[in-house]
Amino acid sequence: MSGVSEPVVNEVAEAPAEFEPEVRSLTAFERLTRSTAFWIGTALLGMVIVFGLISPDNAFVRPSNLLTIGLNAAQIMILAVGMTYLIGAGQLDLSVGSNLILCSVFSAQAVVALAGSPEQVVSGEYPNLPFAVVVAVLVALLTGGLFGLVNAILVTRLHITSFIVTLATGGIGLGIALVRTGGGNVSYIPRELQLAFGSAKLFDLVPVPLVVAGIIAGFLWAVMRLTGFGLRTVAIGSSREAAVRAGVAVDRHLVKLFVMMGLLVGIAGLLDVARFATTNVAGHQTDALAAIAAVVIGGSSLFGGVASVGGTILGTLIPVSLATGLVIMRVESFYQLIAVGIILILAVYWDQRRRSGMS
Amino acid sequence: MSGVGPTVGPGILPGAVPGASAMPDAPSASGAAIRATGIVKHFGHIQALRGVSIAVHAGEIVALVGDNGAGKSTLAKVICGSLQADDGQISFWDRPVAIQSITHAHELGLYTVYQDLAQAPDLTVAENFYLGRELYRAGALGRLGILDRRRMQGETRTALDHLGIRLKTISAPVRELSGGQRQALAVARATAWATTGLILDEPTAALGTRQTGMVYEAIEAAAGRGLAVLVISHDIPRVLGAAHRVAVMRHGLVIADLAAAETNVDEVIGLMLGSSRVPGA
Repeated sequence: MSGVSEPVVNEVAEAPAEFEPEVRSLTAFERLTRSTAFWIGTALLGMVIVFGLISPDNAFVRPSNLLTIGLNAAQIMILAVGMTYLIGAGQLDLSVGSNLILCSVFSAQAVVALAGSPEQVVSGEYPNLPFAVVVAVLVALLTGGLFGLVNAILVTRLHITSFIVTLATGGIGLGIALVRTGGGNVSYIPRELQLAFGSAKLFDLVPVPLVVAGIIAGFLWAVMRLTGFGLRTVAIGSSREAAVRAGVAVDRHLVKLFVMMGLLVGIAGLLDVARFATTNVAGHQTDALAAIAAVVIGGSSLFGGVASVGGTILGTLIPVSLATGLVIMRVESFYQLIAVGIILILAVYWDQRRRSGMS
Repeated sequence: MSGVGPTVGPGILPGAVPGASAMPDAPSASGAAIRATGIVKHFGHIQALRGVSIAVHAGEIVALVGDNGAGKSTLAKVICGSLQADDGQISFWDRPVAIQSITHAHELGLYTVYQDLAQAPDLTVAENFYLGRELYRAGALGRLGILDRRRMQGETRTALDHLGIRLKTISAPVRELSGGQRQALAVARATAWATTGLILDEPTAALGTRQTGMVYEAIEAAAGRGLAVLVISHDIPRVLGAAHRVAVMRHGLVIADLAAAETNVDEVIGLMLGSSRVPGA
């Protein structure tokens, strides 16, 4: 029945070598120089060295300054790491800024409502603070997660592209937050949150929000690199059709990614309240774009299929380092916006050229 | 599909699922691995399939040829689960099956290779090979969803070697491969997971001569491993060279079922176009 003889197979196996493109294993060094994260890391290191050398008394490279840079990058880092997964899967979430405001408003209102009677709260007394904080954490996670779930349902059930869905839900979420607060911020948030968490330092050195962001980023870096979950994320972004045919439950996976993004937004919202002891309903307009820029600068493809959490982490540090460096140099920090814009364009252009040169 | 837990290795690998590697001398060596009988399929008023029957035996390559609109792709879609027949019966290994979906067909051991290279170009060869059936590390790490990349790469290499596909690296993204290499990889992947048969719909339509040769070698190797192979192609000379039998379709029916060795390109084309008489008719 089977008319195939082994020699035939072997013959063709060897013949095509000279006609096929030379695809071979890379050396460790080649792999390193091919990774955008490596070049972004090099650029960041160069920036730190230059600012360190030219700043007065080398103030830039003092540990306290470097840790402050990390602290200021913490929130965007949490958002950008989640965004790396979504972008890797070929999705976007433009609603993270509004979601963050909504999470911070709801959790702040929960704290203020539960920490004591209205009279006590106004006079700065919070007898039920521990209970109120526990509820506030749950409220923030629930709000963020549900927001993500709504995004996911709209994307997977109505088949509307995530760009439009999250543009719309972003507006809706911000609207709800402003309706809830009458356009103002939540008052009487206990300062204890700042002292115990937002401005607290682990071992009197590392800001607690940076520790939180670092743990989250490290964990999600490992998930992307090592697990089937990470592999299926980029598989969906690389070819949704291929993932479907391979039996990947694509819609269910996308729901997980949007909900994960929402939960991360909830955590970032809690950090916001704890750091500043206020909500910031007028801010966070550029959070989503800052996160996306960090992801793209870090070497992930905006079209999906390639996702580098490590690159993203470095990508979030660049704008903050630039801003801090310029302040120390007594240059107006507004130049940071210009510089980051230029870096974004250069990074993407260079990345495209390298990728087209490879294939 | 599930995030964790041990995954069964590819069927053609040593020590893989019982019944997969043992398929050449499978249950019904006398019967057909894939048999479709009296399949009818309407699209509105158009009768695409008019009670068509076809059988493919284990280890056999059957070429399914016909002019455009003869119903080849519709028949393939019915067998591979992406279309439901209006009437008729499909059996695998002489056991009637009601194939609900492509995934259901996969569970029954039937895989389809598509014309448009259904692969994730950014993933490596090994990652594509195992996508959807990833191998996990043993023990607690595996339960955490940690991949066993070393084993995935090693077993991908073994599977490709068995089909005579030589790639210098399996850790390169698939986008860096040639079209022929990618299609050969697709055939290898389907061969590895299939236990019943393969359907290939125009597997070499986009490929050059040498790359087409590479894909057909992989197809022949798949049949050599005991799978029933159904190939749809317009490349009559090439498919005639590889197939054991040729089924010619016209107007929703198989009008001729010929031994490939006893026919020729002119006869087949004549039958396709309706200018030759059906032998024995």
